[in-house]
Amino acid sequence: MTSSNYLILSSIIFSIGFLGIFINRKNIISILMSIELMLLATNINFVGFSNTLDDLFGQIFALFILVVAAAEAAIGLAILTIFFKKSGSISIDTINKLKG
Amino acid sequence: MTATLFYIFSTVTILSSFFVVFSSNPVHSVLFLIFSFFNVAIIFLLSDAEFIAMTLIIVYVGAVAVLFLFVVMMLNINEVLVKEGFLRYFPLGLLLMSVFLTELIVVFKDLEFFSSNNSGISITNLLDQGHENTKSIGLFLYTEFFIIFQISGYLLLVAMIGAIVLAYDNQLSVKSQSILKQKQVKKDDIIKLK
Repeated sequence: MTSSNYLILSSIIFSIGFLGIFINRKNIISILMSIELMLLATNINFVGFSNTLDDLFGQIFALFILVVAAAEAAIGLAILTIFFKKSGSISIDTINKLKG
Repeated sequence: MTATLFYIFSTVTILSSFFVVFSSNPVHSVLFLIFSFFNVAIIFLLSDAEFIAMTLIIVYVGAVAVLFLFVVMMLNINEVLVKEGFLRYFPLGLLLMSVFLTELIVVFKDLEFFSSNNSGISITNLLDQGHENTKSIGLFLYTEFFIIFQISGYLLLVAMIGAIVLAYDNQLSVKSQSILKQKQVKKDDIIKLK
């Protein structure tokens, strides 16, 4: 595989995650899943370049992205559960408390 | 052979990512997310990154996706409400996505990268010395990238404490012992002589 194969695959997955953030306005869980897809796309890029450029650093950095993704999912879902407990819905439109 | 497998698994990954975004039932989207993680793990195996592939399955499928499934099943979400406003945002989102994707594909189509200098950590050199993938990652992760490794450990610790503090339910429905209240009790409050 050449590097353009990995780049095109990861950009397609990244765009799907982008579209998911755009269209799922009523469901924060879908938005979190779309963010996971985007992080997966960056991981594909790192591992693909590690393979094509023959450099191990890409794989090591992909591990750190895994760490960040796991932390982000845990915090995001914790915030989501307390938000659902307080307001009874997980729609984006009801999150306007910060407007005052 | 490897190229054919790469194309097959990337097609399946893209299709299942589409279903993650478009399926109306959140449980189905989590299951499709798990499926696309598995396919990406196979792509990583094809790219000679065995350790990252197995870590992806353990971390994503074993922890993150199960956490998602748990939260989706715990929150009772109305399916009809979830897809409200889908048609309103879909055309603009599709337009922006197709513009973005076309730009990226036009740039990346004929792009070729070659490693120009030998400043990086060469995988083939490590393989020649008899270090396989997992061992060579360990050789560099715990020595050269030790500071980043420690910082990522602290990040996980902070995330864990944050998630516990956020999800901790300090309600009266749970009976618990309040030591401060216990110590402030006077004798007259609990024993009454009549």
